[in-house]
Amino acid sequence: MDFLNYVINGALIGLLYALIAMGFVVIYRASKVFNFAQGELVILGGFIVWYTSFELGLSLWLSIPISLVASALAGYLIERIFLTKLIGESVFSMVMVTIGLLIFLRGLILLVFGPAVRPFPIVFPLRPLFIGELLIPMNLLIGGGITIVCAVGLSWFFNKTRPGLRMTAVAEDHVVASSMGISVKHSIAAAWVIGAVLSTMGAIIFLSGKSLTFLASDIGFAALPVALFAGLESIGGLVLAGIIVGVAQGLATAYLDPIIGGSIGSVMPFIIMLGILLIRPTGLFGWRTIERV
Amino acid sequence: MDPSGIFSTSYRKDRQLVRTKWQVLALLAFLALLFLAPAYASPRIIAIGNVMLISAIVAVGLQICTGYAGQINMGQAAFMGVGAYTAGLLASKYQMSFILTIPLAGLSAAGFGFLFGLTAARIKGFYLALTTIAAQFIFHFTVLNLPSSWMGGSNGVTVPAATFFGIRIATENSQYYLILIYAIILIAGAFGIVRSRFGRAFIAVRDDDVAAGIMGINVARTKATAFLIGAFYAGVGGALWAYMIRFVGVDQFTLFNSIFFIAMIIVGGMGSITGALIGVFIIRMIQEIIATVGPNIAEAVPFLGGDIVFSSMNMFLGGVIALFMIVEPKGLMHRWNIIKSSYRIWPFPY
Repeated sequence: MDFLNYVINGALIGLLYALIAMGFVVIYRASKVFNFAQGELVILGGFIVWYTSFELGLSLWLSIPISLVASALAGYLIERIFLTKLIGESVFSMVMVTIGLLIFLRGLILLVFGPAVRPFPIVFPLRPLFIGELLIPMNLLIGGGITIVCAVGLSWFFNKTRPGLRMTAVAEDHVVASSMGISVKHSIAAAWVIGAVLSTMGAIIFLSGKSLTFLASDIGFAALPVALFAGLESIGGLVLAGIIVGVAQGLATAYLDPIIGGSIGSVMPFIIMLGILLIRPTGLFGWRTIERV
Repeated sequence: MDPSGIFSTSYRKDRQLVRTKWQVLALLAFLALLFLAPAYASPRIIAIGNVMLISAIVAVGLQICTGYAGQINMGQAAFMGVGAYTAGLLASKYQMSFILTIPLAGLSAAGFGFLFGLTAARIKGFYLALTTIAAQFIFHFTVLNLPSSWMGGSNGVTVPAATFFGIRIATENSQYYLILIYAIILIAGAFGIVRSRFGRAFIAVRDDDVAAGIMGINVARTKATAFLIGAFYAGVGGALWAYMIRFVGVDQFTLFNSIFFIAMIIVGGMGSITGALIGVFIIRMIQEIIATVGPNIAEAVPFLGGDIVFSSMNMFLGGVIALFMIVEPKGLMHRWNIIKSSYRIWPFPY
């Protein structure tokens, strides 16, 4: 029974990682930019929710939609300021700009909100769900559902609809896409808007009823292995990859930690990530590209 | 581009680094300025100079790996840490002289770097960036989780002062000379490496690794060599750091520090040793200014809180990286080269 409990909880945490990782993948899928600042987008969303619900005193029914719109706006602004000029630039420039963005946002958030610990509104019921001896946290259960809905919806969008396919072409190659008459600018802007909204949703699920500090951005790094495992272009694959990584982490925490000691559970995703990078860098469902001179 | 009237008449002359009489004079004057610094500068300035020189060694190593060979390396601080720990442990546990420990530190860091260089043979771009970030985490995790009798764990390692024939190198000025001599040797070596056969292979791999492979360059070995050399520089820098601070802790070598080194070469200019030196000077200067001015601002504007130094350091670093990548991706050295060639051919446009 314990085993089943660890597996289910691990899988649900994995689905939360998958939702955060979806932000990476959507931005990559539509702009070929790998956004290292995903964790910062998550806490930015968290702080917007905190601000609208506690400082402005709005009810949750108002504050959450407003926060989602505000974070979409923030995503658009970030894209306008930092990334529009970089269309067609080298991978190094893109990587460095998003890393610059990560550090910049962290400094900005620290400067504006300070290092204080803030309460986060209770969005989902705190009482866990009991099924027999199984104990399932409510926020993760609902969050897992949201992740699956988002994954199905977005992979339909990117694979079946015209705007989605246009964005997919941008991910293949900026120059080719723009010569086909696709607006690379609009595609990247749309990607950042979706990415920022997904991060805010992730923040709400992750932080519901917990406390909020700028250190919560570490979840961005925890979600990295999931994105790589699925392959950076696959949204549907995230669900599977998230469940595998989450279960591996849950079991490692439960069974390996008492033996080895230390925090092998929290490092587990990164061990998986290194393995993937060395064995199959494109992940489970990523695109294989052929290089030409 | 050479000034008018200066022509290279042989291959040897064409490869010369110092090409004109004025350049010889300027170089000698600059070296004299550096060597005489303790005579005219205050100990505080010398201490800043020490940090700058060590950063210069590490950043030049990163320049070779990232700027010349094009391999994104976000683990330079971890490589530096490996060097610092090697030197610190050898000096404190086995009482080895710094003449031995500093090269050994370089070699051990080079070995660690070489391991990650091997992965670069298979992957590139931001996958490589991720792997080198992993180097950073592996370094932290290993140091903190090994028994503390091995590497000191979270307590760190206290390093005895370097001694040279009975002279303790413990004051700022004596450390300055130790670091300066190493910096000059390594930076001169870097100028040699990048115009040698290896340097040309690095540049070919950076520009297009598939094409370089077709031309007969062993791409995997070149990439691994680039990491090896870059990490060697980082290791020597780390060892000097250990002797300067006299204490090695895992918090001195974080991902944040690695990104600072990358910022230095971006600001100075990718693919130029002189650019790396300029970048080190500018970034360290501004860091020093923020660290000095920050507390005063915090006092004057209390609602911003005491974290202003840390947070504004973050905003400065992130902002400067993004700004340079967007506005001047080739760095200040590129701008300087444009100015130089335009005054040399003045009054003609080209």
